Amino acid sequence: MIHLGKNTKSTIISKGISAGHGQQTYRGGVKISRGATNARNYTQCDSLLIGDKCGAHTVPYVDVRNSTAKLEHEATTSSIGEDQLFYCLQRGLSEEDAVSLIVNGFAKQVLKELPMEFAVEAQKLLGVSLEVAVG
Amino acid sequence: MLKIEDLHVEVEGKPILKGIDLEVAAGQVHAIMGPNGSGKSTLSYALAGRDGYEVTKGRVLYKGKDLLAMPPEMRAAEGLFLGFQYPVAIPGVSNIYFLKAALNAIRKYRGEEPLDAIDFMKLSKEKAALVQLPDELTKRSVNDGFSGGEKKRNEIFQMAMLEPSLAVLDETDSGLDIDALKVVAEGVNALRSPQRAMLVITHYQRLLDHIVPDVVHVLIDGRIVRTGDKDLAKQLEKEGYTEVRDAQQL
Repeated sequence: MIHLGKNTKSTIISKGISAGHGQQTYRGGVKISRGATNARNYTQCDSLLIGDKCGAHTVPYVDVRNSTAKLEHEATTSSIGEDQLFYCLQRGLSEEDAVSLIVNGFAKQVLKELPMEFAVEAQKLLGVSLEVAVG
Repeated sequence: MLKIEDLHVEVEGKPILKGIDLEVAAGQVHAIMGPNGSGKSTLSYALAGRDGYEVTKGRVLYKGKDLLAMPPEMRAAEGLFLGFQYPVAIPGVSNIYFLKAALNAIRKYRGEEPLDAIDFMKLSKEKAALVQLPDELTKRSVNDGFSGGEKKRNEIFQMAMLEPSLAVLDETDSGLDIDALKVVAEGVNALRSPQRAMLVITHYQRLLDHIVPDVVHVLIDGRIVRTGDKDLAKQLEKEGYTEVRDAQQL
């Protein structure tokens, strides 16, 4: 994200999912150039871990040339809890469906921003790759 | 409906339930009362099949089938519902979507057609009214940011939607104010039916003023020490668990 003009605002939302032995890394570059007075950036990185052999890494890189800029960075890491899974199972969902439901919920904030065609496809892809990872 | 015989359950190698015998017939409401740490929640989790609750002895028959041999989702599909003491939040998954997935998974198991969106919405409106659950709550993420009372009302709403044949309600009254307690109790009462059995787990007699049980059991230290009718709950309230236990030992 490169800020050039005055009063420019940007938001980055990154959602990463690791399963099995997967490792994920978020590398973000936010540049505030000299002329970008009162620029604002908000960066949010959420990672979801499935299983106990995967990991998540966050490298938020910022390059600020104007001291009036305001930048925020927030990162969270969560895993699919045994309690969440059991709650779903107790309501009659299979383990596979439960994981897919929880993962889709996690990714929803990003998916809902996509045009419908992409969102549908992304959701399906997520389902397929999880099947491989979990099943 | 439900027959528990000499049930022993261990959690992390520690014996919690030490021989429970319990029989619940269809149409009955049984209350299980007991002090903290007596094994009430363990019983509900063991029945629902949670990981880590290991049955070391005894058996449980549900509708004549061996309940303990089934995985948790199959128990649910067979009509066992557990109202959680601490319902879990699932961020990003709307309540209504979650329920639709659950209901249709159960219907599929029973060989029924999935409910379409229109019929489902109709059903959910009807059932939400039962526990006075605001429309807005059905659209929010499952239990995410719900108040204690809202969570419990949501559990009863889910129970109404899934229409179980055996409902185990684990401390559904804890954390509720008097008005919310009434709403929840009315919801539960509306769901009483000759085909449905309920196991109501609670600390206090207060809930049993509203949901009048057919049988009351007192669970202390992993065993049922007393069984009686609704007056036993009143006696407990007056004398405390210790008295009742000591009276038993004499």
